[in-house]
Amino acid sequence: MHARSYLWLFLPALSLLLLFILAPAADLLWASMFDPNFTTEHFARLVNRGVYFDVMIRTIRVSLIVAVICTVIGYPVAYYINLQSRNRQTVLLFLILIPMWMSILIRTFAWMVVLGRDGLVNEALAAVGLVEEPVRMLFTSGAVLAAMVQILLPIQILTCYAAMTEINFDLIRAARVLGAKPWQAMMRVFLPLSLEGTITGLVIVFMLSMGFFITPALLGGRQDTMIANLIEFQVQRLNWSFAAALGLVLLILTVVMIVLLRGLGRMAARRILKGGL
Amino acid sequence: MYKTLLGAAAVALLAASPALSQDKVLTIAGSGGVVKEITEKVFLPAFEEKTGWKTKFVAAESNILLEVRTMAASGQMLYDAMEVSASSYPQAVREGLLEPIDYSLLDPDNKLPAKAKKKFGVVSASYSTVPVQRLDKNPEGRKMQSWADFWDVDTFPGPRSLKQQPEYNLEFALIADGVAPDDVYDVLGTEEGLDRAFAKLSELKPYIPVWWTSGAQSVQLLSDGEVFYSTTYNGRVGKLQESGVDVEIMWNGGALHTSHVGIPKGAPNYEMAHEWIRVRTMRPDLELEYVKKLPYPNFAPGLFDAMSEEQAKTMPSYPANADVQFVANEEFWAENIERIRERFDEWLLE
Repeated sequence: MHARSYLWLFLPALSLLLLFILAPAADLLWASMFDPNFTTEHFARLVNRGVYFDVMIRTIRVSLIVAVICTVIGYPVAYYINLQSRNRQTVLLFLILIPMWMSILIRTFAWMVVLGRDGLVNEALAAVGLVEEPVRMLFTSGAVLAAMVQILLPIQILTCYAAMTEINFDLIRAARVLGAKPWQAMMRVFLPLSLEGTITGLVIVFMLSMGFFITPALLGGRQDTMIANLIEFQVQRLNWSFAAALGLVLLILTVVMIVLLRGLGRMAARRILKGGL
Repeated sequence: MYKTLLGAAAVALLAASPALSQDKVLTIAGSGGVVKEITEKVFLPAFEEKTGWKTKFVAAESNILLEVRTMAASGQMLYDAMEVSASSYPQAVREGLLEPIDYSLLDPDNKLPAKAKKKFGVVSASYSTVPVQRLDKNPEGRKMQSWADFWDVDTFPGPRSLKQQPEYNLEFALIADGVAPDDVYDVLGTEEGLDRAFAKLSELKPYIPVWWTSGAQSVQLLSDGEVFYSTTYNGRVGKLQESGVDVEIMWNGGALHTSHVGIPKGAPNYEMAHEWIRVRTMRPDLELEYVKKLPYPNFAPGLFDAMSEEQAKTMPSYPANADVQFVANEEFWAENIERIRERFDEWLLE
């Protein structure tokens, strides 16, 4: 009766979900299976040809590495920002956000200028005398990783920071009063409390990395091809059904990995809370 | 009261603007870069003068076919005429993306030679995919003379680049492996020939850091020094040389192509598009201006007679150049592209 009528308020959100997420996903499924007649050849091709499996594994591996590196670098940075005064914090956060004003494409191009044969790094190395011939840094996996970390780091920093501001510093002081050494207070009080937010940030960075294609396309070689690159490639070739199949695989892989990561995160959180690191 | 007036004015303005854009505009899609510049300088004004229509040139680079396919699928064709490269032509025809050309409208007096008049397009340019070398990166006093040299990483060390497609690269590989240019397609038609070409390409693969996808990229790679040797389209080399990069074309073993101008399916201004085609393909005076900057001659009647010797030497269809190249067999690729392309894409990923 009246009690149930509030459920109608969910309608806008639900229709948004349906229209922009479920319907396109269903369309993708349809496109990959009907070419125009029913066929499973695209999925068969994905499974039978080893190269596609390699690309999928590589995409997951690169995304995981990027997410972990972003966390390892981002967490201490967020912690440091959190310790500052309010005004300082605003300035620091602002500085971290500035690169995000530029599009990913421009930032990737900037990396090409930095890492190129006649680029900034090589010029610096040559000027100092460390190398005789220019080092090849472009079109390598390292370049892709470096650029992806640089692009996604602000996101992890902000997420960790948001988690940390929630933590009441009095808890740390209480731990110190109770006899904990500084690093113990950090490990057994602060870290577990910020873990949830950090894992969320890690998952977000992972998710974004899975879909990256500009950076591997411009900075990587053949050996850095990720799923999104394959999709773009196949769309260009007008193999839209195969591209749809690839897109579906990407979607499923990402969802599965997110569930796994969150589950692992929760297990790790419980472990830490119970027995400490 | 004021708000209502403001609202009414806004609506009136919005309603009026579509009417303004009813101005007769012909939309043409083509390559960007130098091609776009020259088209806008030479051909578009001539067309506008002759017909009183306005033109809009869209630089769609290598995505033209993709865009046209999307537009055809949605039922709203935005282009009236488009550049159809040599490799896109068979595919576009197969997918039904082009309208047949009405030659009674275009060329009632039969001035164009037969080889320029295809069913779904008119030849607008002949160009070559040729290897280009950076002379300053060559070892002392040596110059590449053939595809075998391009493959010779010991004598000519350095990174190379090729276009990210099987077409023409397989032929180049076979020529490097010793097949005579005239026999290339016979060999390529057999399974062993195909395996041989892929094996030869695999030899060079480790020395290719990046495979180029657009003409602009191939030139940029050479200019930046990211690669020392690369294939590219002959027309882009002139500008590269002008910008101060010491490069030279190696015509020997290059692939000769013809590109066309066509009318996409559902083009809004079918008849006026023929006028554009006439301006683009049958005016030797305009074409002469065009080839001064871009050595991509078409078959405009009387063209070669009007050229100087020096200018003719940079043309892909100039006899000395044409003799050492092979004519790219687009029909072969139209028939075999599906299976070979799949193999090539996966070979790339290995």
